Formats: sequence, C-alpha cells, structure tokens
Amino acid sequence: MTKRYMASVVKAVKKPSLSEWAFKLLLSFTVGALIAGCSQTSEESQASSSQDTLYAIPWEEVQVYMKAAPSPVQVAVWLKQEKVPFVREPLHDPTLAARYGGIQGAANLGIYLTDMAYAYATQHYQEAYEYLSSVNRLAARYGIDDILSIDRIRALDKLQDSPDSAQKLLSKYYGEMQQRLEETGQQVMLRHMILGGWIESLHITLILIEKEPHKQQLTEMISLQKNLLPLLIKLYAVDSTKAPSSQRIVKYLLNIQQSLDKTVPETTQKQPLTKVDKGLIQMRFDAMTKISPEQVQLIKQPLSELRQHMVKI
Amino acid sequence: MSTALRPIFWLIVASTLHLAAQTPCKQLIPACRDAYMENFSWDGRYWRAELYGGETSEIYYTFFRGIRYRLIPCGSSSTKNTPHIRIYNANRTLLLDTRQQGDRAYWDLELSTTQLLLIELYYPNGDGCAALLIGHRAPMEASTR
Repeated sequence: MTKRYMASVVKAVKKPSLSEWAFKLLLSFTVGALIAGCSQTSEESQASSSQDTLYAIPWEEVQVYMKAAPSPVQVAVWLKQEKVPFVREPLHDPTLAARYGGIQGAANLGIYLTDMAYAYATQHYQEAYEYLSSVNRLAARYGIDDILSIDRIRALDKLQDSPDSAQKLLSKYYGEMQQRLEETGQQVMLRHMILGGWIESLHITLILIEKEPHKQQLTEMISLQKNLLPLLIKLYAVDSTKAPSSQRIVKYLLNIQQSLDKTVPETTQKQPLTKVDKGLIQMRFDAMTKISPEQVQLIKQPLSELRQHMVKI
Repeated sequence: MSTALRPIFWLIVASTLHLAAQTPCKQLIPACRDAYMENFSWDGRYWRAELYGGETSEIYYTFFRGIRYRLIPCGSSSTKNTPHIRIYNANRTLLLDTRQQGDRAYWDLELSTTQLLLIELYYPNGDGCAALLIGHRAPMEASTR
C-alpha cells in the first residue's frame, strides 16, 4: 500500500521580543512534555507487547499478507456450496474458551469463529450457539464482545429460516471485529485471529476430505495452500527474529510447506478461458491435480501440530 | 502575525490539509458499500491507498469455486475516473485488465477452481484515493436478486 505524508515548511525568523521569548519557552515546555509523553507511551506499549510487534516491514505490507487468507464466513459459504456434512468431533471444545487469553486467545477466537460459521453453514444451530458463546466470552477479553451482544444474537437467531441472511449478518459481525481490533491498536491480536481461522478452515477441510473422499473438489483447498502459505509465512517471518512466539509459528508453517511441496506438484498454470459479459467475469482454469488420501495425511500431521500448539492449555 | 505563532499556524494549516485529504478517502468505503454491494455479503475487509504518478496497490485474495464475488473499485481522483483493476494469478501472469472491458462501477467474478489471485488497483491517468471492496455470495442467489 502506498502511504503519503504532508511535507512541512520551516522558515527563518527575525529576533524575537522578551514576551515572545517567554511565549516560546512556554511553548517549548508544552511541546517537550507532549513529546516526552508520546515517547513514553510508545516505549510502554513496545515493552508490553515487544514479543510480537517489531515488524521489519511497514504495517501496510503486513496487512496485504493478512488479508490474503479467506475469512471463516467465506470458507463456510464455500463448504455449504460443496454440500458437506456437519462433523462435530474434530471441532474445538467450546467449554475451553474461558481458559485462553493474550495472543493464544486471539488465535482461539479465530478457531471458534470458524467452527461457528461452519455449524451455521450446515444449519446446526445448537452447536453454532455453543461456539457463539465461546466467541463472545473470548471477544470480551479484547473489548469487542458488544459486536455479538444479546440483541445481535437474537437478530441472528431470527434468521434460522434464512441461512443466507444469517451468513450475511455473520460476515458483517466478523468485519466489525476485524475493524475494531485494528482501530483499538490490537493488530497483533487480529493477526492471530486470522491465523486461527486459517488453521481451523484447513483442519475442517482435511477432516471432511477423509470423511467424504469422493468430494475431490475439496482438495482444491489443499492446492490453494501452495500459494497462500508463503504469504502466511511472510506474515509471521517479519518479526520472527525478535518474537519467540512468531519463530515457533514460522517453524510450524515451514513444516506444513515442506509437506505441501512433497504433495502438491509444481504446475505451470495455463491462461484460463475468460469470458466477460455484462460485467460478469468468468474464468475457467484447468482442473487441479487430484490428491490421494495418503497425501492428505502428509499435510494433516504438521497442521495438527500447529493447531495443537494453538489450542493447548 | 507574531513570529512565535507562526509554527502553530503552519501546524494547523498542515493538519487541516492532511485531514481534508483523508476525509474523501475515508468516506469512500461506506459510500461504495451502500451504492454497489447490494445483496452480497461483505466481511469488512477493504483496501485503500492514495495513488500518485502511476502507482498501483496490490491485493491478495482467495476466491472459491462456486461463489460469486463482487469487486468494487472505487475512488476519488483528479480526473474523476473510476480506478481500474488488473487480475493476475499467483505467479503474476496477467489474466484480465478491466480497462479493456470499459468503465463499470463494479465487476462480478466467478472461477472454475479455487484460486489465490492478485488484484492490482490503478488509475490509468490522474492521481487520487482508490479503494477496493470485495463481496461474496452463492451464484444462484446472486442471479435471482
């Protein structure tokens, strides 16, 4: 992203009078106090979160990588389109929500959000509400629980007969959560929430591939990782030299990448057949390479290790 | 004006100019969402940049098969033009430039397989603020709206 700054102009001045000197002195004190205050705040905030905020690249670039991963709602809409069943057992335990905090809590917020969106998409509302409660509990730790207030949950509840409207509302709430975390200076938490959502999306997809091996189209999610994973690695590598938590995550991500390299062959994509009609662009790509159950296992193992690292108490 | 007051004056002028430059940029997102998102779901993600002298803004986004997406490039430029988008695959091969397809307020997109694409937002000429919003929904629902 491009960033612009206003240029400032400094001019030479004539010799000032005594009253002007006094005024200047007062002004210097005020400005000095302000600068000191600001730098103290900055140092304090760095100290409190020094393990995870010292990026080697501008925040704008971090954001580019962060937004590459699909949102939990988008994944849920896709799974619904693929007519997948609801499988409860591999999902996260909603009763553990109260035991998380900090960056681990943010990652689990992303995990619970994904489980909730998946339950909604497959119209398992009882389970969806259980995850909603977990999300709400964790969201309170970051001051964003009002986004899922009782009134808003009731509004969501009324849309049980209209799942598409419910998805739309969930999208809106998810968007507000992201925005609020960013506006309140909790970008670090936002990054972990997105990572958690990504982990759980891939985890659910891999489980579904095992359960529904005839749905080969689900393996597209694995092929996609070949391009997506390098961006996630960049997202965490930017501060891995200074943050041990990021270092660990990068190691896990690199393990997944290594497995992907063994599993998904390098292919040169041909130009897709593109049709544009009345503002609708349709792109037809070559079918993705099929992935066997054994290859799925190769990806599942390192992903499970990362997920375990995120959910362990 | 007193010499001592000049820095304050310049500070106020600079702040006002900076705010004035930012305001239309900030207003772009709600204005474009309300005007063009229609029945598409929006997960709150947007991209916004000030583009000068042929600069572009790059956006990575995951597009799923079976979902229709709405790409809304909107902007406020010196030439009053709408920004255009170039769509690349993850290997940076150009797939489409909307400039070749004429001016539209938004574009709908459907893919036959799930892909990570790179979207480049740009003004063919002129400078200004540009933003991109992406909505999504199932194609059947989109066509019956």
